[in-house]
Amino acid sequence: MSMFFSLAVVVAYVILLTFVAVRARAAREFEEFSLAKRALPLALVFGSLAATYVGPGFSIGFVGRGFNSGFLFLGIGLAYSLQNILVGLFIAPRLRELKNCHTLGDAFGQKYDRKCQIVAGVISVGLCAGFSAVMASAGGVVLSDVFQLPSWSSVAIVVGITALYTTFGGLRASVITDAFQFTAFASLLPVTLLLAIAFHLNGDPLTFTSQASEATINGLGSTPIIEIVGLVAAFLLGETLIPPYANRALASKTTKISRGGFVLAGIFSAVWFLVMISLGITARSIIPEDTGEDFVLLNLVKSIMPASGYSLLLVVLVSVVMSSLDSLLNAGAVAFTQDIVKPFANLTNGAALNVGRAATIVIAIIAAAGAVIVPSIIDGLLLCYTIWAPAILPALIIGLLVKHPRPLAGILSMGIGTIAAITLEFVFPNLTEIPAIIVALGAALVAYAIGHWIGSVKTRV
Amino acid sequence: MELFIFVIVIIGALIAIASGIWVAFALGSAISNDGKKKIPSNTKET
Repeated sequence: MSMFFSLAVVVAYVILLTFVAVRARAAREFEEFSLAKRALPLALVFGSLAATYVGPGFSIGFVGRGFNSGFLFLGIGLAYSLQNILVGLFIAPRLRELKNCHTLGDAFGQKYDRKCQIVAGVISVGLCAGFSAVMASAGGVVLSDVFQLPSWSSVAIVVGITALYTTFGGLRASVITDAFQFTAFASLLPVTLLLAIAFHLNGDPLTFTSQASEATINGLGSTPIIEIVGLVAAFLLGETLIPPYANRALASKTTKISRGGFVLAGIFSAVWFLVMISLGITARSIIPEDTGEDFVLLNLVKSIMPASGYSLLLVVLVSVVMSSLDSLLNAGAVAFTQDIVKPFANLTNGAALNVGRAATIVIAIIAAAGAVIVPSIIDGLLLCYTIWAPAILPALIIGLLVKHPRPLAGILSMGIGTIAAITLEFVFPNLTEIPAIIVALGAALVAYAIGHWIGSVKTRV
Repeated sequence: MELFIFVIVIIGALIAIASGIWVAFALGSAISNDGKKKIPSNTKET
């Protein structure tokens, strides 16, 4: 009976999602596929941004961290909120102001040169494929857990459905379905918290706060300072302007909406972390103390809800995964078409649309295949963060802020940043106690400065 | 202090739910506007 109900809820959810995706229409030109014709209103930019960044890590992961270390991770998560607000105030509007800009690579092409665009495009596509593999792996875990399916078929179902609507609808379908998925999880998880507080803690503030302080003291005592510094750096920089976020900045109707969308998404992330951490703290009075971090949310819902609650949780978790996955697939496909294919081939609008669609399918297949080798959700995400920040951020941010950025500086910064991050992550992981993301970022900044200086000397000569 | 933290958590949950409802309204509006756009322009004029 319980399995039947779970299946019914999932089928109803897929039908509703299909209805929403069909209403979003198939993209008819590349401008629509890549930028939704630059017509997104504030609520959709905000909802889509929030739906994209709330993945398994910011839901299941944060509830587990709240359970073990109380409000410690709220403090760390606020670095992410600050990053979103700063990007909204200073970077997103500048990005939106660029004409004929479809991707971050395009921004590099306009500010530096075509070579920089291609390098940024390759890094963007690689990162989107990597992140997609992590999301596919998480989606597979959720479905296998509920339906006892083999892992590969669960991954295939999640990736297949997501790739289907993203291939045909492009960014607009991704944003519209993100909004639908955001509505599902942004309502259901906070309602779960309110129910747990009302019926299991009997609305008692003292029980909640005593559990919170005990867990937070425990968390502070067991986490070394250097680890906290590394986590703050990863949250502050690791996801900054990754391709799906940049696409939403570019697709906003106006620069004001671009700015507002990021600022609101930043504020919402702080609220969201508070809710997730509080769910974890509440769970301490309800589920066994030795529950594994990734199973806290699952066991909490099993304990406080009837059987149907488990199905609802499944819907929420599938929403969380699919809304991140569709954005990554679309952003990777657009970057491939615009930054890697277009510089070498003069594509018509129709041909570019077809290349974008084909790229969506290929990245989805790579993600499904890669899902098998993802070590763990958090490790996979941290690896992507460590490479993205040093590889792209210094060149992107300086390029958008200064008047005449030098192409050599862009190439050197991206190249050295990528090599340093990969070397420190894979070849010499124990070389230094300082987190790899910080060392690689420093190397990228030094390389940028050297490239800028050489470029300036050459220009003067 | 206990009560303050508790109230902040409750307000946070309500803000998250309100955000979901706001985006749901925008989604409804976007979908219905799309439906209107499907009407061919020559039909509109006649």
